[in-house]
Amino acid sequence: MTEAALPAPVAAPAVDRERLTAIGFVLPSFVIIAGVFALPLVLLLGVSVIDANGLTFANYRRLLGTPYYLGVIWNSLRLGLLTTIIAFLISYPAAFALARAHGALRSVLLATLFLPLAASVIVKAFAWTILLRSDGIVNETLIALGIIEDPIRMIFTETALIVGAVNIFLPFMILPIYAIVAQLDPRYAEAASTLGASPIVTFFHVILPLTLPGIIAGVALVFSLSVSAYVVPTLLIGEKYPTLATTIAKAYLLAREPGFGAAAGVVLLGIAIAVVALSARLSREPK
Amino acid sequence: MSGAAPHLVVRSISKRYGPTTVLDHIDLTIRRGELVTLLGPSGCGKTTLLRAIAGLAQPDSGKVELAGRDITHVPPHKRNVGVVFQSYALFPHLTVAGNVAFGLKVRGTARREINAAVERALSLVKLGHLAGRRISALSGGQQQRVALARAIAVEPDVLLFDEALSALDRKLREEMQVELRRLLQDVKATAIFVTHDQDEALTMSDRVAVMNKGRIEQLAEPRELYLRPASLFALNFVGLSTRISGTVLAADNGKVDVETKVGRLSALGNFQAGSPVIVAARPEQLRLGEQSEANSAAGRVRSVVFQGSRTLVEVDAGAGESLLAELSERDGAIPRVHDEIRLSWPVTETFAFPMEAQA
Repeated sequence: MTEAALPAPVAAPAVDRERLTAIGFVLPSFVIIAGVFALPLVLLLGVSVIDANGLTFANYRRLLGTPYYLGVIWNSLRLGLLTTIIAFLISYPAAFALARAHGALRSVLLATLFLPLAASVIVKAFAWTILLRSDGIVNETLIALGIIEDPIRMIFTETALIVGAVNIFLPFMILPIYAIVAQLDPRYAEAASTLGASPIVTFFHVILPLTLPGIIAGVALVFSLSVSAYVVPTLLIGEKYPTLATTIAKAYLLAREPGFGAAAGVVLLGIAIAVVALSARLSREPK
Repeated sequence: MSGAAPHLVVRSISKRYGPTTVLDHIDLTIRRGELVTLLGPSGCGKTTLLRAIAGLAQPDSGKVELAGRDITHVPPHKRNVGVVFQSYALFPHLTVAGNVAFGLKVRGTARREINAAVERALSLVKLGHLAGRRISALSGGQQQRVALARAIAVEPDVLLFDEALSALDRKLREEMQVELRRLLQDVKATAIFVTHDQDEALTMSDRVAVMNKGRIEQLAEPRELYLRPASLFALNFVGLSTRISGTVLAADNGKVDVETKVGRLSALGNFQAGSPVIVAARPEQLRLGEQSEANSAAGRVRSVVFQGSRTLVEVDAGAGESLLAELSERDGAIPRVHDEIRLSWPVTETFAFPMEAQA
């Protein structure tokens, strides 16, 4: 190797320029994140622990020490968990169907996934209230068909809430799973089968582990969206199912208790961060 | 050739995909411990035949028997075959040892037995030291070995290699060919290779099946395949040759005289007078100068390609025909480009094939 004996090429200025360019690219997003995310976050934290008399944890004590507010936290978690689990059960086979579909069918299926994303959550949640209310389409149809005599109470039930939430957040579960499934080499399943694995064993030992990154991404997305959902519980179930999100809104808009609202916000953020951190950890390759 | 009982029997298998016939009544019998290559161009059906044996493709008709058992309708996971895929298809979520153990684990083998088998399989492919590695941390050659170890670990009745070496670079591939053949012979494996690489086929196999358009054109030992090709396709696909078209003048039990644009040639073959044929000979049969009782043709040297132990000389024989001779320095001076030379070759090494079968 004669090159080794030569003096190192003068690369230092080039590296500096590269670094400057990189900083230049990162700077705008850094400023935006620092300005509109990190700073408000610090303010939020501050407001939640400081009142007129100085430092206080009264807001957190109230939130985490009152059975009512523990119930509120549980409501949020329950909404997040049920929505995530049901959305996953629907999405996983759907992602495979989508990946197996070809040509026009695939385009149509993908369009039915993407188009609803263009409509706002409020519109979709409101559409569900129209469908589910006592004189809504579902009840009218059932009555017209003679299946029921009096309208069933559907709107403002937990069922309505979960159905609506699953429907609205479903694309966020299907798409990440689909992205993984679509590039899954069919040879993996074939190799497993020639090695003696039945279809069920192949599914649990090969397919499921290989699609785990998509599942984790979908779960993280749907959970953090549904646990903090505001419009969906407000329109589909209302007062009797208070969540952290509706509690925050009430604290700011009605009760004028910004400190308490901020504390609820911090708790909600804590839950979302915990889920995202956990899923990031799970999706990292073991060992 | 030993007279061992048939181990894998493929009986008249056919497979169509839409209007295309991929396998056309294929018959193939393989003895225990035999290494057979399915050789052919892409689309000849060799991979489909392999997949039919593995159970990954269901034939439309015909039967597959393995180790005395009719497995035509047995799902792949109950066939006890080992497959090494072109892309290896190693499980990225498992370690090297995890991949090799997979087949035994799903069979419910005891843990201690699995560990021993994994160790044995990995040492066989000389990868014992990498057992704990992740697949993504391996080179292509190492992945190839892991795929082999994984397939061998379950002690399958037949090992199937689908273009398993083609992803390796040339030098590594040639080393693996020799090593793989020795390894498979050591463990007395019965194996089928699918490849489009004639060198791989000749190096690796006891017998080679040359496939074309869903049929086996010739099933023979490498030496016989090269020296006695059964069809023009087999002649073209394996090795080089001189090919001259002509018309049969006279036929005399197994021998024909053919009128060609480079003169009258004699060849082995059964044809009626007037049949259009291709007369062919392997390049190493062609010698400089005249020989008695031999075919000969003259022309001007078009190119000389030095290839180490041999030199390939292409001669323009006029009328669009050319001769390909493989000459050795030992037999005299190698002609130069533009030299006018005469080449001759023995009639017993000259073959006639029907014209229309040209691939």
